Amino acid sequence: MAKSIKETLLGTLVHGEEILENIRVMREVSQDKITAGNEADVRIAPLHTKELNLVVSSVADTGKQAKVIRLSSQNGYLPPFEAGQYINLFAEIDGVRTSRPYSICSSPRQRAYYEITVARTKDGFVSDYMLDEVKEGDTFTANGPAGVFRYQPVFHSKRSLFLAGGSGITPFMSMLREIIDAGLDREVTLLYGCRNVENALFHEELSGYAAEHPNFTYHLVLSDSAEGWSGEQGFIDAARIARLVPDFSERTCYICGPQVMNDFCKSELLGMGVPLKKIRREMFGAQRDITKEPGWPVDLTGQEIFRLTVDGRVIEAKSGESLLTALERAGVRVNVCCRSGECSLCRVKLVSGKVFLAQGILQRKADEAFGYLHSCKSYPVSDVEIML
Amino acid sequence: MQQYDAIVIGAGNGGLACAATLAEKGKKVILFEKHNIPGGCGTSFRRGRFEFEVALHQLSSMGTPEKPGPLRELFRRYGIENQIEWIEIKELFRVNFPDGTGISIPADRKNCEAFLCSQFPQEKESILRYFETVYAFCSESAAFAEKSAQSTGEPSAAKKAIMKMGFPKMYPTLARYALKSTQEVLDEFFKDVKLQLALSAYWCFMGMPPARFPWSILAKCTNIYMEDKPFYLRGTSMMMNQAIMDAVQRMGGVVHLNRGVERIVLEGGAAVGVVDEKGEEYRASKIISNISPLATYGALLQPEEVPQAAQEYLRPYTIGISALTCFIGLDCTPEEIGFATSFTLNYESFDANEDFKDAYKLLPEKDPLVATCYTVDDPEISPPGTSIITAGTLKYSAEWEKLTPEQYYEKKYEAGKRIVARLEKMYPGFTDHIEEMEVATPLTHMRYLNHPGGAIYGYEQDVMSSVFFFPAESKIPNLEFASGWVNACGFGPNYLFADKVATKIALEV
Repeated sequence: MAKSIKETLLGTLVHGEEILENIRVMREVSQDKITAGNEADVRIAPLHTKELNLVVSSVADTGKQAKVIRLSSQNGYLPPFEAGQYINLFAEIDGVRTSRPYSICSSPRQRAYYEITVARTKDGFVSDYMLDEVKEGDTFTANGPAGVFRYQPVFHSKRSLFLAGGSGITPFMSMLREIIDAGLDREVTLLYGCRNVENALFHEELSGYAAEHPNFTYHLVLSDSAEGWSGEQGFIDAARIARLVPDFSERTCYICGPQVMNDFCKSELLGMGVPLKKIRREMFGAQRDITKEPGWPVDLTGQEIFRLTVDGRVIEAKSGESLLTALERAGVRVNVCCRSGECSLCRVKLVSGKVFLAQGILQRKADEAFGYLHSCKSYPVSDVEIML
Repeated sequence: MQQYDAIVIGAGNGGLACAATLAEKGKKVILFEKHNIPGGCGTSFRRGRFEFEVALHQLSSMGTPEKPGPLRELFRRYGIENQIEWIEIKELFRVNFPDGTGISIPADRKNCEAFLCSQFPQEKESILRYFETVYAFCSESAAFAEKSAQSTGEPSAAKKAIMKMGFPKMYPTLARYALKSTQEVLDEFFKDVKLQLALSAYWCFMGMPPARFPWSILAKCTNIYMEDKPFYLRGTSMMMNQAIMDAVQRMGGVVHLNRGVERIVLEGGAAVGVVDEKGEEYRASKIISNISPLATYGALLQPEEVPQAAQEYLRPYTIGISALTCFIGLDCTPEEIGFATSFTLNYESFDANEDFKDAYKLLPEKDPLVATCYTVDDPEISPPGTSIITAGTLKYSAEWEKLTPEQYYEKKYEAGKRIVARLEKMYPGFTDHIEEMEVATPLTHMRYLNHPGGAIYGYEQDVMSSVFFFPAESKIPNLEFASGWVNACGFGPNYLFADKVATKIALEV
């Protein structure tokens, strides 16, 4: 066959003939490179499964108003995770498909199941469902495990200070169980703030670990005064931390709990001279009552109904509910994972109108510049148009 | 069923530019992106107080507003030049040697020549001759490209014979150097190994060690960066992605994020449309794939639809290298820790080709370490008193793919520790300043890019697979490719290539 002009000219270059010959040979003898399917998807699935298909294998009470739900995989495989990570569980409740992120509280050293803990919250649309309706054999889809609230061995101290509030104990349970199960060379002090002993999750287990393992110290701190309680009483503040954990400055501190507690502990630690790099915080969803957030427009009650236009369709949106919630109520499918402003999966473009942004959104500069929002923490304060 | 002039699959750099150019030319275009953000390989992510750039080091072909390079001209056409704050980078890079010395290369030919001559006086003549050769090579290849763009079709046998005779005389530098490796050319010019390493640092932008890195790419990089200057921009590469995406929409194009293409529809062996992941079908005269040819044929077509010619055509090409990268936020300024040049290449020995072999191993050992301190270029990239550094090595994914899921996290952090230890040695006190840190392995790149092998530069860019041999041809009528897999990868080259592809398509649809 006559050579093309390209081949003819390439042949005149130094090394030209030799390379052309190489290519000719490779075309004949090398193996086929196109394989059916997407190789990357297949290889990555054992580490990061796109969608987890879970089944409830047991439900057990823990404390007064909380349950541990054990989830196993319908196909028998669960991806590994780092202690402290969460899964985002999807549920259809009263015809509305929504989701909630739950920290995994079981140890990552076994993956026959993931356990999550659900605690009752006031007007908790999803927590009521999880506590009152969910039973063995129920199935869920979920995404994750995800999240960066975890021990990072490259630069975190081997000595940790865990500050937990209420159901914020759950990621710490996974971390502790791993340390204890695997006998890791780490040392932990946990200060766990709760209203009363009945509300303290895993109190017995934690007390047991503390009694048996010299590398774990546990203080339950009750905010309500209780008769017969001789332990710590009050809040997790600077004075208490300094007294109970004199070597606090050599530790990496981790905070997980309600937003108020989370913010308070952070400012206490900063006040004690702990640098930001040693304060790791679990992200949090927006406050249940967003109107209490600093900067909320004073003329709005959270009950106003605005028109939310999305790709040409008009739906109702309440000012006190996030755009994501409004979309879910209307049956619009939006990608979502952390529901805390961090992961950016639920990002939408604001075309017109005004929104209120809750605290703790990790936005990219380009998103700010081009009008993109994390819908999970954005609230309509006028009629709004968005683009998915 | 919706009808378009063109459908673009994937909103990476190539896909964005294709869609923008087609929209600019009044074509009805729709762009699908599986991910929730545009940008493909070039995006950013947030941790704590920091936003990390994941890909862009130095934007090429920008030039100044007065003397615009081709990329600035393209951004002008898209109407986005002034939406972005461009930051000129003053030094090309710094190469650090194991003996503690280092060489910083100025982004200007005359200064660079003068500086290198003062450092290596015994090689003065070679240095001047080298730069003459680099520039002659680039002007000859530009002249040849212009000439071949004018010709259409195959010339007659007689004309071919004349051209064959004439070519080496008309383009002597091209004929002599176009297919040589970087090492071969550097050995021809220089004796001092430090000088060789100082001039070849851009090999790491293409992931091929000097012995396999086409010198023609190095020559082009050197020439383009010195003439048009390297640039960074305020707000990470996400700013460009979003600006181009906005431009597509402003000019009437449609962009769907969070919506992948499930398959390409063929009729009579030709591409006529796509089906998206929601099952909706779209039709168009041209389908432009900005994902790898492997995934285009393998995942978007049925096995029996893949032409044998495509198999044969792609057989010589090997999936390229990935990377192991640490994204680090420090609670101190670059000066405090000793970063003065944004982009550094750090060697553990004087044999780059030997050290590069460690890229095939699981963990970083002697691998040349690339470290970029973005704060040097853009002090506003993170809050006052902090800095952002990404540091890592090129790595093949093979060993990482062999790990069991149970081993993965431990190895990932072990790799991170080794890279931080290297940085600590060069910048004492480094570790104590870490406020945020994320480790990305070849598998992380595989996860987010969806590329086989976690490849960050597409196919291996060696002499026989790149420049004159990029696998840009499609073996299916009405299907075209635009990504870095089929052309020089990187931001500037990919935008410009995709613009060229789209300009040609605009004439046909």
